[in-house]
Amino acid sequence: MQKWECTVCGWIYDPAKGDPSQGIEPGTAFEDLPDDWVCPECGAPKDMFQPL
Amino acid sequence: MRYVIVSGGTAGVAAAQKLRALDPAASIVLIEAEPIPYYLRPGLIDVLAGKKELAEITPYSRDWSEKRGIEYRLTQAAVSLDLKRREILLSSGKIVPYDRLLLALGAEPIRPKIPGVDLPGVFTLRTAADVERIRTWSAGRTRAVVLGGGWLGLEAAHAMRNFLEEVVILDRGPWPLPRQLDREAGEVLASLLREKGLEILRETEVAEIRGTGEVREVLLSSGKVLPADLVLIAVGVRPRVGLAKDAGILVNKGIVVNEFMETSVPDVYAAGDVAEWQGRVYGIVPAAREQALVAAQNMVEPGSARYQGTNPSQRLKVAGVELLCLGETQPEGGRLLEERVRDKGQYLKLILDQERRLRGAIVLGFLDLMDDLERLFREEVSLPQNFIARLTKCRNAESDFGRFAAHKRRKR
Repeated sequence: MQKWECTVCGWIYDPAKGDPSQGIEPGTAFEDLPDDWVCPECGAPKDMFQPL
Repeated sequence: MRYVIVSGGTAGVAAAQKLRALDPAASIVLIEAEPIPYYLRPGLIDVLAGKKELAEITPYSRDWSEKRGIEYRLTQAAVSLDLKRREILLSSGKIVPYDRLLLALGAEPIRPKIPGVDLPGVFTLRTAADVERIRTWSAGRTRAVVLGGGWLGLEAAHAMRNFLEEVVILDRGPWPLPRQLDREAGEVLASLLREKGLEILRETEVAEIRGTGEVREVLLSSGKVLPADLVLIAVGVRPRVGLAKDAGILVNKGIVVNEFMETSVPDVYAAGDVAEWQGRVYGIVPAAREQALVAAQNMVEPGSARYQGTNPSQRLKVAGVELLCLGETQPEGGRLLEERVRDKGQYLKLILDQERRLRGAIVLGFLDLMDDLERLFREEVSLPQNFIARLTKCRNAESDFGRFAAHKRRKR
């Protein structure tokens, strides 16, 4: 699945890992993340990510 | 219900959004001392480096707060807090009443009492305004000295190399990032930084910052003198507790909170870099956000959410070098086995227990091994003999890693 990178801090969202810190299960596509989801490292919202 | 939040960093903004989501009818006031809207602080390093504009690290448009019905007051510092009347006095002279208050005041840079620390040309780095001041000052200047070999000092030094000819880092410790790295990894990192034109002077104390009218040089306690036309102090931050302390709220290192993010005073909560939970001030973005979300839930419905701590991220990027630190990185005593590989700017240390399960690791470079090592650490599987040599050889058959692989049994 497509990985996405935070344009502010470089953190990478990997759907295979999800984001346990915000209750996001492994296997969740970036597009399916809730609107209020943010980069766990710097707080950037979804629209500040770009596909890797 | 009227919620008031001071101020609008990571914790404050996260709390404001959560409060609005949970309580559509409430009045929410967000008070911020800085003159510009919320930006992502970790992105400031790129702004300092000249790689990004402030707009590129500003996540929300001007109408963000309006759309959510959040009263967002910029350029307003909270001066004092009257707990009896439930009011905050702002620097503008205005008084803001609250029903429930969140103190998300963040942290401020430590400015050690070194002679000359107030000379023009001596800076700290925390806000967008600091970045602007440093960049403006740097025009026509060439030499900087950075005090502090922690993450911020190294990152700022690396960023400033984009516009200054010489940047020297003074570190009190024996190697950079001592909390994350062991000596050998620290040495590898230092040599990588040297290649990027950043010199680290280790175990160095500053005696005085000198200059007439503005900074000219830094005198070390060894007697050595370093010329400098800019000094950046990056020796750490401290929670901004003044407002709470003056009001009589319980303060230790930070504002003391319980698992509900409540302070010692009813209806007053704290979260983020200013908060101390179970003796701990985290000072990291994920903890600030998680604490803010817990605080917001309890502000709407007291007792509805508990904070259970935040696991700090194990990955770190400093001055363009990527690091992964898992579990115990510098075990003391115990029957643990260390295996290490060091090769031109890369370093890998695995800490294994008697069953050869991964208990800790330091990975510097070796980017393509990081995911696998994280997984092996989580899964706690036993690793074969000579795993480290095989792991690194597989990756790059030309490198003679086996020769460098060292086994060392630790004894009590």
